[in-house]
This record gives sequence, structure tokens and C-alpha cells, in this order.
Amino acid sequence: MTDDLDEMERAVGRAGRASAQLLTAAGLAVVSYFFLALLVFTACTALLVIGAGMVPETALLLHRLTGYKRRKVAAWTGEPLPEAYAQLTGTLPERVRTAVKDPGTRQDLRWYALHCVYGMLLPCLALPVWFTGLVVDGVWCGALRRRAVVLPLIERLADLDAAWSRALLMPSPEARRTAELAERVEELTVTRAGAVAAHGAELRRIERDLHDGAQARLVALSMRVGLAKRAYENNPDMTRKLLDDAQDQAEEALTELRHVVRGIHPPILTDRGLVGAVRALAAGSGLDVRVDVVGLDGEPAPADGTGPAEGTGPAGNPGSPGDPGSPGGTASAAVPVGAPRAPAAVEAAAYFVVAEALTNAAKHSGADRASVRLERTADRLRLTVRDEGRGGADDSGRGGSGLLGMRRRVAALDGTVDMTSPVGGPTVIEVELPCVW
Amino acid sequence: MRVVIAEDNALLREGMVLLLSSAGHEVVAVAATGPEVLPTLLEHRPDVAVLDVRMPPGFRDEGLRAALAARREIPALPVLVLSQYVEETYAAELLGGGASGVGYLLKDRVGRVDEFLDALDRVASGGTALDPEVVTELLTRRRDDPLESLTPREREVLHLMAEGQDNATIAKTLVVSDRAVSKHIGNVFAKLGLPPSDSGHRRVLAVLAYLKKD
Repeated sequence: MTDDLDEMERAVGRAGRASAQLLTAAGLAVVSYFFLALLVFTACTALLVIGAGMVPETALLLHRLTGYKRRKVAAWTGEPLPEAYAQLTGTLPERVRTAVKDPGTRQDLRWYALHCVYGMLLPCLALPVWFTGLVVDGVWCGALRRRAVVLPLIERLADLDAAWSRALLMPSPEARRTAELAERVEELTVTRAGAVAAHGAELRRIERDLHDGAQARLVALSMRVGLAKRAYENNPDMTRKLLDDAQDQAEEALTELRHVVRGIHPPILTDRGLVGAVRALAAGSGLDVRVDVVGLDGEPAPADGTGPAEGTGPAGNPGSPGDPGSPGGTASAAVPVGAPRAPAAVEAAAYFVVAEALTNAAKHSGADRASVRLERTADRLRLTVRDEGRGGADDSGRGGSGLLGMRRRVAALDGTVDMTSPVGGPTVIEVELPCVW
Repeated sequence: MRVVIAEDNALLREGMVLLLSSAGHEVVAVAATGPEVLPTLLEHRPDVAVLDVRMPPGFRDEGLRAALAARREIPALPVLVLSQYVEETYAAELLGGGASGVGYLLKDRVGRVDEFLDALDRVASGGTALDPEVVTELLTRRRDDPLESLTPREREVLHLMAEGQDNATIAKTLVVSDRAVSKHIGNVFAKLGLPPSDSGHRRVLAVLAYLKKD
């Protein structure tokens, strides 16, 4: 007996949900009737040119209306219903032209016209079905223990609404491609602006570093040499002191220049390529770092980046003898000539990511082991740095500025950073950099 | 001493020739590109070779490769490698074939003429000269460990030992007596658990091996 009641309850419940769906359709239809007035008004004034300014706004309003319907339909069918419109940008005449020509807007108008009818008709049909359904199914299902037959019709009505709307609102594949392209262009515009800004900031930083550092020291040095020349005859002690100072200045200037150069493009990248440079980072990190390389040239082993000064270090394995002078000729750490290399900016970014990640791992994670993986895919360079530490790293917390800098650097190249660092570890940083090989 | 210089920058090359000749050394040959280095060394067999790391045609690490190749061809050839920047990895590669007669210094150090000539002599006579910056890198990146238990003075002694300095130089640099230096060295070796070792490159190796150990 309870089962039969449940069956009836379920049928009523389902019919209820379908009715809610139909009611929103009806609601939307009612809104549409009011909107119709606006539409007609816009069309008339637009013809008289005065109301042209309202056209794009009206189109956007229409998009919002259909956007709502799309979400409702997607929720009912469980399948996404994408939208695809041309971007309304530029001067007013351009916007008006785009809005009028946009196939997406025309499609919306078609749906709009038809929905004004079926959006109201279907809910109206549902009303009598409810009355008959409650009576018929009340007997059929509740008393005679059969399956409900009438109430499910309401669901079919809602299905019909969804199916028609879907058919009317589904953008053509072409329109979707166009919209996707537009989105991609938008995204690229943003990242390119970011890259240009990052590049500008970088140039200013380098200029400032050189100006305040090496350049200033060289001026001071030159002054001291000049003074030493004047003091040369009369005051040898003073001369010596001035020359000592001058030499100190020269050495400090060199040290600063070295730092600046490292910040621009680490020299070891030029010498050894990304793989060699990353191995050097691994060896100098103070951690036991395993370096895996897939699809990039570099020496295949040893996997262990560290090692004692004598023994298994890169130099402990003397490589094949060959022409010592040619680049990439002999030693085991050679990057073979002709090996595909990522663009310098990508290599530099990858290098800084690994350096930052390993520094953080050594400083904060408490780990003594880490691994780095460099992988070349068809159109990108993927790198993963993992440490077996205590985790809990985040962009705002410890090492935050470093991680932020890493994200900026990668974003400037249209790449992605993905970090997971649950408390208790491990911390895994995955970076993908788009790159043409 | 008979010296061969490999340096592509004419300005620096001439400066180096001037500096070495004024110190009474004989520059028997100069090489300006990477491929010239090994044949030049084989031909002249100098007492010591002074090599730049980055040279034409690739402007990468030709000089370093030439140094490694030369030491395979002419065992025990003393080489002093100079560079605008130092890399721990390169130091490890150079020392991989033994620390005897190996030097690796920043080009900046040439300005301190006496110290540079001293390092050159040390390398030529089978010793070691390692740039303080490399040693500092080695020392700072270790976190755990017995290094913490060293007194500041003992750390200084360790630093100078790793650079390849002998006891007399260490004493002079730190302005202490030879005996005090020996005592400090004894303490350092005891605290790090290293077997006592005579002066010279074997000591350098022991210290470096310890610093590189994880």
C-alpha cells in the first residue's frame, strides 16, 4: 500500500518539478510581452536614427533574456547549451552594425518570437492535465496500483519546451567557433598586455639596478682614480689609499653586474641549455634532487643531480672524447648540436620556476628530497617540481612573493601554474609553457 | 713559468700578457678561439694554462671543455680556469679528475694581482685554487649539521682550506700564528669527522667532498 502511495507521490513530485519549469517559461513569456514593446519601440526609433543608440543595449538585454532560458534548459536536460555572440565593441555605429548583423542575435529574435507563443501555450496545456491527472491517476495509480499515465504528460510538455528551445537556441558550429576564437583573442590580448607590462617592468628594474649599482660605482671609481692622479706626486700614502678604494669599487661593480646578468638570463642557460642548467640547480640546492627529462636533449643520466665531488658527478663520467672546441662536443653534460631548444624566454622562465621551487623546498618545506621533471610535448614545455616536505605552501603565505613572481613570469608567456600543497605534503608545482619547438 | 693563455677578448688577453710578463712569466702562446686551445697546449706543453670559459665559436663553455680535454690528453697539466661567473657544477667537473693543479676563479680576482699570481703559482705547483664565491655557495647551502658547531674562526679556516690555501697563507690572512692555524684545522677535522689529512690538494678534496656530501 505504501509503495503505491509512493508511486503516486513520485508522479506528483515529478509533475510538480515539470510545472515549475513550465511556469518559468510562462513567466519568461510574460516578460517577453513587455519586452516586445521595448523591441518595437527600439526598432521604430532606430529607423528614425534617433534610437540607434538603444540597439546594442536592447541586443544585450535580449542576450540576457536568452541566457536565462539557456541556463534553465541546460538544467532541465542536463546538457550544456552554449551561447555565441559577436563582441559588441568599438564606436556606436560599429556596435549597432555588429548587433544587427550578429547571427546570435538573430537566432535569439527567432526564438523570442516563437517562445512568445509556445512559452505560454505549453503551461496553459499543463493546467487541464493537472486536473485530469489528479483524478485519473488518483484512481489508476493510487487505488488500482497501476503506473501513473496522465501526470507524466506534464513532464513531456516541459521536455517539449526544452527541446524546442534547445533547437532554436543552439548556436551553429560556425558561430561557436567564431565565438571561441573571439574569446581566445580576448584572452591573448590580456596576456599579451600582461607580457608587455611585465617586460616593461623588467626593463625598468634592470635600468634601475644598473643605474644605482654598477654605474654609480664606476663613477665613484673614476673619481678616485682622478684624485689618485692628483695626489700621486705629493701624497703617496693618500694615492695608495685612493687606489685601494678604487679597486674595491671596481670589484663591487663587477659583483653587481654579475647579479644583474643572472637576473636577465642566467649564463649557465647559454652554456648548458635548460637541462644542464636545471641539473646545476639541483646539484646546488642542498637537497637530494632527482631530475627526469622527457623528450629534451641533455645527458640521459645520472638521474641523481647531486653527488660527491669525485665519483658520480657529471664530470666523474668523462664522456666520449671528441673535438674539444666545438660547442656541445665532448663532455657528458653536452647538449647535442641541433637539439630542439625552447625559446630563450621560455627557458629562462622554466629555469626561474625550478630555482624558486627548489629554494622554497629547501627553505620552508623541511624536505630533504625533491624531484624535477622536464617534459617536452607537441606544443609546450611541461615542468613539475615535487618535494616530500610538510606542504601547506600557498601564494599568500611563506615564500608568497616568490610564488607570485613565478605566476607572473609564467602568465606573461601564456603559461599556467598549478600548485597543490596539502598540509603534510607533498608540494607539487606544475607549470606548462606554450612553446614552438 | 711558461704560460699559455686562452682568452677571446683582445683587451683582457693583452692585459693578461702584460700582467704575467711583468711578473716574470713567459707567455709562450695565446689561443683566441675554442678549437685552437687543445692543439696549442699540445704543441707548447706549458707549465700552466690560463683558460677563459666562454669562447668562440659557440660562446658557451668551450674553455671549460678544453680544460677537461687537455687534462685527459696531458695528465697533470695545471689549468687555471677564469670566468665572468662561477658555477658550482663547473667546479665539480673540473675537480672530478682530481684537484691537483686545478684552479677555478672569477675574472675579477685578476685585479688583485699578488693574490692572482699566488693562485697561479699554487696551481702550477700542483695545488688548488678555488674561488671564494664557490666555497661560500658550498658552505651556505648546507643546513643541518656539524658545520653549525664550528666557531666563526674555524669556519674561516675551513673556507680558506676549501679555496686551496696552505697553512702559512691561512695564518697570514687571519693574522694568527701557524700553530693556531694547525689547532683550528685539527678542530675542524675532528668536528666534521674527517680523517686527519696533510696539507695540499688531498686536504682540499677531503673538505670539498665533505661540503658536497648530502
